Amino acid sequence: MTLQLQRSFDLEAGLWNITPEGEVDISTASMLRNVLDEAYRENKADIILHFDHLNYMDSTGLGVIIGAYGRMKESGNDIILKNPKENIKKLLRITNLDRLLCPELFE
Amino acid sequence: MTDMMKFSVPGKPEYVGTVRMAVSCLANSVGFDVEAIEDIKVAVSEACTNAVCHRSNDSGDYEVYCELSEDRLVISVVDKAGGYDPGAYSEPHLDCPKEGGLGIYIIKALMDEVEIFTEIGIGTRIQMVKYTR
Repeated sequence: MTLQLQRSFDLEAGLWNITPEGEVDISTASMLRNVLDEAYRENKADIILHFDHLNYMDSTGLGVIIGAYGRMKESGNDIILKNPKENIKKLLRITNLDRLLCPELFE
Repeated sequence: MTDMMKFSVPGKPEYVGTVRMAVSCLANSVGFDVEAIEDIKVAVSEACTNAVCHRSNDSGDYEVYCELSEDRLVISVVDKAGGYDPGAYSEPHLDCPKEGGLGIYIIKALMDEVEIFTEIGIGTRIQMVKYTR
């Protein structure tokens, strides 16, 4: 089970683009947490998580994202998920986190 | 006729993915559709994550039982992690999400039947059923 993470700061838009590829579960969730924390420490800005190539995520990943969301909201920043696959959309839907984290599903 | 498969799993995070793969292969081989297989993968992972997180020492192995019969797959994840007080568990407040506590809620949402047996000082058994349509 592997997870690869890439992050880059878009100077023009003033936000982070973070792309996880693979699977987020109990063995890889801390990698996601570290990348989100590092990025936000470096530059307090909105974070876009590009989920196009994330094949699997469960509550361990949701927990990391909720934690980051809570810390970022205090400073007025957002964390937004883009292009989640059907299985992850379902997870967001049943936990009611879709409106909070993935507004594109309601556009 | 019922077929039973058993796995004994070291209580370490890195093996949860192995169990997820094995159970999803099994679900696929008996004809569950893609959505049901994804549901089963997440539910099994959540139950294994529970077993791993609640163990008191590194040697806490847990067992995964898969019972296959004509119309259903019954998966039980059984740990010896000391159990918990079910009265202390509360459903997560979805309007006010926090980092933990979503696992059991997600299992109940994804599987057709879920039963949790827990005994303080002993351990927990999470039994989940998915029916083939």
